[in-house]
Amino acid sequence: MSDVMARTKTIELLVLRYRPLSDSEPVFATYQVPYSDDMSVLQALQSIKDTQDGTLSFRWSCRMAICGSCGMMINGDPSLACNTFIRDLAPHPVTIEPLRNFPIERDLVVTVGDFVKKIESIYPYIIPKAPKSIEDGEYLQTPAQMAAYESFSDCINCMLCYAACPQFGANPDFIGPGAMALLQRYNGDSRDGGQQARLDRIAGEDGVWSCTAVGVCSEVCPKQVDPANAINQNKTKSAFDFFLRFLRPGARP
Amino acid sequence: MSEHRPFHRAQPRDWWAHKPYLGYTLRELTGLGVALYGGILLAGLVCLSRGAEAFDSYRRFLASPLSLLIHLLLLAVMLWHVVTWFQTMPKTMPKLILGGRHVPQQRLTVLGVLLAFVCSAVLIAAVVAVGGLS
Repeated sequence: MSDVMARTKTIELLVLRYRPLSDSEPVFATYQVPYSDDMSVLQALQSIKDTQDGTLSFRWSCRMAICGSCGMMINGDPSLACNTFIRDLAPHPVTIEPLRNFPIERDLVVTVGDFVKKIESIYPYIIPKAPKSIEDGEYLQTPAQMAAYESFSDCINCMLCYAACPQFGANPDFIGPGAMALLQRYNGDSRDGGQQARLDRIAGEDGVWSCTAVGVCSEVCPKQVDPANAINQNKTKSAFDFFLRFLRPGARP
Repeated sequence: MSEHRPFHRAQPRDWWAHKPYLGYTLRELTGLGVALYGGILLAGLVCLSRGAEAFDSYRRFLASPLSLLIHLLLLAVMLWHVVTWFQTMPKTMPKLILGGRHVPQQRLTVLGVLLAFVCSAVLIAAVVAVGGLS
């Protein structure tokens, strides 16, 4: 009761709706939502779903910026709905759209299949340099060796960086910032020996070379993963790999 | 019945002209300014190879109000190019770990810009000194 009493202010939300069975294209719907100062955009959407329109579809899970499910365009910026608060946007009307650069499945839900395939394609696991048995003990790592890749392991696959990337918008086959951050997480790991397999994956236009260092991917990242750094340092490696490929052991002319 | 009928929204063709991409667009455009200045220097070299008369007319062009205006504009473009170049530089290199700690990118940018200005100052001082001696 007290929670309802506290919600004396109202915010206008313009939500892009797309119902594939009835809509030929997405259209904006307007909702008036009572809000309190601690209300996130995600809670506002849940309030619409609970009290105004149960058909409104959106993804969410953890409500604390760790699962990466509720990424959407809020006032044109790629944002996590759980991490964006109405009080910071009020009193102006708030525009909510599905993540840019992705096909819309329904309302705020986008297609993620291609992104998952890209993640799978970069060998997202440690490939040991030499196989070791359990009796041989664990693979050791110094704090400095860990610092070299640790921040890239913070990615939550929210895809905000893809929505921020105009080169992904122009070329959907571009491997993109998120998958490259994960690639660097493994390539930068001192215990890993899979660098060559991953370098082969990112050569060419659909690999690192679609990136033009726009850099907005790193600005919108809610976890400060800095995918722009992951991509651009691998351009150097990819270029070296191209020019020095004949010198590799086992290389064929 | 399947509802799977994904809707594809096309990216606006003028994405580069709007926030947050405007900074990127301006940064890339400064490259044209750098190329233009390189062209001006190259024109001087060509005039020099063609003889004294050609080089004198090149120098007269340099002293003209139009040329001074162009150079003032190009100086601003060049300064912006230097700053944004060093802002991008840390993104293109592996994380710098010193003493087990990650060196912040902003520090690399500040150091790079400072280095560029010190080098420019030394170059200007050298040119002035050589000009004074000859």
